[in-house]
Amino acid sequence: MAAVDKDLIRQLVDGTISRDNARQLIRMARKDHERFWNYLEVLQARVAWRDRILLRLNDHLYIVAKTGGGRVVKCDCGHEFGDYRTNWKTAALINVRRTHDEFAQVYSPAPACPEPEWQEIREFYCPDCQAQLAVEVVPPGYPLVHEMLPDLDRFYREFMGRPLPDESPDWYVDRTQDTTRAWHAAAR
Amino acid sequence: MATIEEKVLEQGAGRRSLEQMFEERDRLTRESGHYYGITELSLRDADPLKFERFYSRLHTCVLAAREVARYVAASPGGREMGESLWALTTAEGDSLALSLGFFSHTAAFPVAVRYMATEKYDDNPGIDDADVFCTDDGLTGGAPHPGDTYCYVPIVVQGEIIAWAVGLNHIMEAGAPVAGSWPGFCVDTFMDGFVFPPMKTGTKLKQATWWDNLWKRRTRAGTMNILDDKMRLAGCAMVHKGVHEIVHEFGLPYFKRAVREVIEESRRMVMDNIKALMIPGTYTGVAFRVAKYGDMQKIWAQADRDNLIHIRQELSVDGKGRMAADLEGSSRWGQHAFNGYPGGADCSLYLAMTNTFSHNTKVTAGINLTVTSHYPKGCIYNPDNDFASFANIWAQSMAMNSVGFYSINRALFSRGYLEEAFATDGDWDGVQGAGELADGTPYGFTNFEYVGGVASGAFCYRDGEPVTWAEWTQLCNIGNAEEFEYLIPTMFYLGRKTLPGFCGHGKFRGGLGQTSVHWIVDPGRHLGMSRGGAGTAMTTFTATGMSGGYPAPNCFHVTARGTNLQELIDNGGHTPRDAMEVIEYAADGRLKVDKLEVWKYDPPELQMKHNDLWSNATGAAGGWGDPIERPASLALQDLNEGSMKPAFVAALYGVIATQNAAGEWELDAPATAARRAAIRLARKDAKPAAQWWQEERERVVRREFITPIADMYRGSASFPKFDREFRGFWQLPADFQI
Repeated sequence: MAAVDKDLIRQLVDGTISRDNARQLIRMARKDHERFWNYLEVLQARVAWRDRILLRLNDHLYIVAKTGGGRVVKCDCGHEFGDYRTNWKTAALINVRRTHDEFAQVYSPAPACPEPEWQEIREFYCPDCQAQLAVEVVPPGYPLVHEMLPDLDRFYREFMGRPLPDESPDWYVDRTQDTTRAWHAAAR
Repeated sequence: MATIEEKVLEQGAGRRSLEQMFEERDRLTRESGHYYGITELSLRDADPLKFERFYSRLHTCVLAAREVARYVAASPGGREMGESLWALTTAEGDSLALSLGFFSHTAAFPVAVRYMATEKYDDNPGIDDADVFCTDDGLTGGAPHPGDTYCYVPIVVQGEIIAWAVGLNHIMEAGAPVAGSWPGFCVDTFMDGFVFPPMKTGTKLKQATWWDNLWKRRTRAGTMNILDDKMRLAGCAMVHKGVHEIVHEFGLPYFKRAVREVIEESRRMVMDNIKALMIPGTYTGVAFRVAKYGDMQKIWAQADRDNLIHIRQELSVDGKGRMAADLEGSSRWGQHAFNGYPGGADCSLYLAMTNTFSHNTKVTAGINLTVTSHYPKGCIYNPDNDFASFANIWAQSMAMNSVGFYSINRALFSRGYLEEAFATDGDWDGVQGAGELADGTPYGFTNFEYVGGVASGAFCYRDGEPVTWAEWTQLCNIGNAEEFEYLIPTMFYLGRKTLPGFCGHGKFRGGLGQTSVHWIVDPGRHLGMSRGGAGTAMTTFTATGMSGGYPAPNCFHVTARGTNLQELIDNGGHTPRDAMEVIEYAADGRLKVDKLEVWKYDPPELQMKHNDLWSNATGAAGGWGDPIERPASLALQDLNEGSMKPAFVAALYGVIATQNAAGEWELDAPATAARRAAIRLARKDAKPAAQWWQEERERVVRREFITPIADMYRGSASFPKFDREFRGFWQLPADFQI
């Protein structure tokens, strides 16, 4: 399958792609394998920093390889959230909505609002640029949801055929509870 | 010297019992890692054109069955909408070819056939060519809920079962205490209605008379249900005839080998697709659903409690292109209507999987061999009590499917296949009930309209759209209002439209949900109405939004009982067209209402009278991205189309607009920039996660939860995986008990 033009990828990223072109892409029987590399090129050209993008997590966040070693979650504004094996939400700003009035600012009409006490709305912001990066609507006390922990070494080696230079079995381990353990220790 | 084709055809001869077939299938698949030990696609490679022609013939049988059978005899749900499927399976129930319709029900087939094998149905009652078997049971038949009814016709050649023709559809009424096709408020399976394990109901493609009589006596829509029964069997008869012709043309040895190659070929293709589209790793998705039974179950005191159902799915992708969905941590089963059994749970789980990974290959059991599920014993998807109700697993398992779908779409986004990445929701709603006409005629009904279609979620590059999506079928269609009006003679439409503002918001918003207002006219002696449906507005459809967008809001209902509607109509006044207008009309006095109720949870069966109103709002979809990044042009379009209210747009999206002389909304660019800057500035006041964690942990330690939430945590933490997650995240001591 021929690689999709980078201009189209830019239009997808920008949200300016036409309906016809988007539909053509959806109808591809087999996706273009090169898309990932072209996508990374398009994304890399848009950020002001030089750390190599390994994976895009959402509209603003990327896993990047630090030049001095390590892989961290980084916002397009440049803010770093730390090691990608730890849920990046533990390094975000968190706004919690708990009352019906607070819910009604983000849900409408009023009967469609979640129920206070049963649910709270958590909004996660970048500490530097304040972009809203994620929303959780969960009962009080629910652990932060680690939406995605990629097995990057396996992806680059076995799916894409270009192994990463710093492969290690330790990369595919969830470290989130190391952070909460440290917070707990600090509080005692 | 024998050709390759002749050599492979020599294999597999001999007559075996159904149980022996399963033993061989399981052993060879397990030992070889390939379906039925098929390591080489010898027939396909020897003569690919013949192989494809063979499959095309199989596929044509099931496609034709659907297009013809639903016009032979069917209820409106069966005829007009996507609520049906015909299939051809192997002797072991592994899918070979599917019609259009709700394809993921293939997960139920091996459950029913394996049950018949284990129970030695070949000996008693016997399985002969053109027999008819039916089931709608979750435990033994793999059915998601009693409304989904399956017909199996064995295809026997030379004394051996070689395949099954299967037809299924969602019937109009299930015969439970709460009328409709999704029995509500069930405490155990004895309240699920007319539930039957796989049973022989006919021979020689003809149902027994007693079978028709059971439908008449044990359900409230006997006529409709018998029509659907005939529809299912008519399609199966076509498939049965077609397959016999194919066996005659291609020969039995070819058929038996080729069907296994078909499944093995598609299994490989699915794995290839997973490697081509996914990122290996672990994805976690979560959703919640309320079952509010408190103060409503006075007869069955053990069920008189409120429940918060927890759906937690960890989806893992390995390096070989296999996926595993682990539901450990989801709620324990409960004394409510929303449990299911593994076959029915898989019918939901495989919706996302089939959609995404079988789109360019033969849709067969290959997907079921590649994506596996784990439902620990005791959980809501695998009760450790065989009498648990499974009346409406769809009320929560659509969210279970959606969180898996979200996980897939996160991976597609990360790989750059943005055109496929969207918020996948499916908050369906069906109005159901039973009544007795003025002449004493009893009846039962389901209005399927919002089972037929809901809004699509936001993509990462555009808004979602209303009524264009149904994750349980390719045939999104809410049906004709007139069809439901003649079917349900006491309900007429006053309105059927989208509801402004009703969506998950974001940089790109979800499609608006839809709303109807049903006017009750001459209900006769009695009319009881309730609903079957996915979420209720007390929770959102999923718990996690996409990339800073808000998850979809769930369904709510408004009922107005004791109105002066007739007076309003007689005076030529306007009547309410959607759920919010019912509330507004009642509030400002345009409509006089004795009892106005807004239901953010499932209403019990309500007694409805002449001129009462029943209104629902459902089918909203989730957003994508930060709302203050929404292109102002889209926000203005929302205002000019009446899809949003100006104050809401200003507050959430930070878009300030003014109306010109022509009444059109125009952007106030400086005010918008200032408003968005102010929103961003206000976000700085949010707490650093570490501070939030310390404060929140104190609440957890003090167990500051309402009872249903504490119950939910206790139930989920009875499974070790969630106990580790909860205890570890909050750093709780080993002796801490919720």
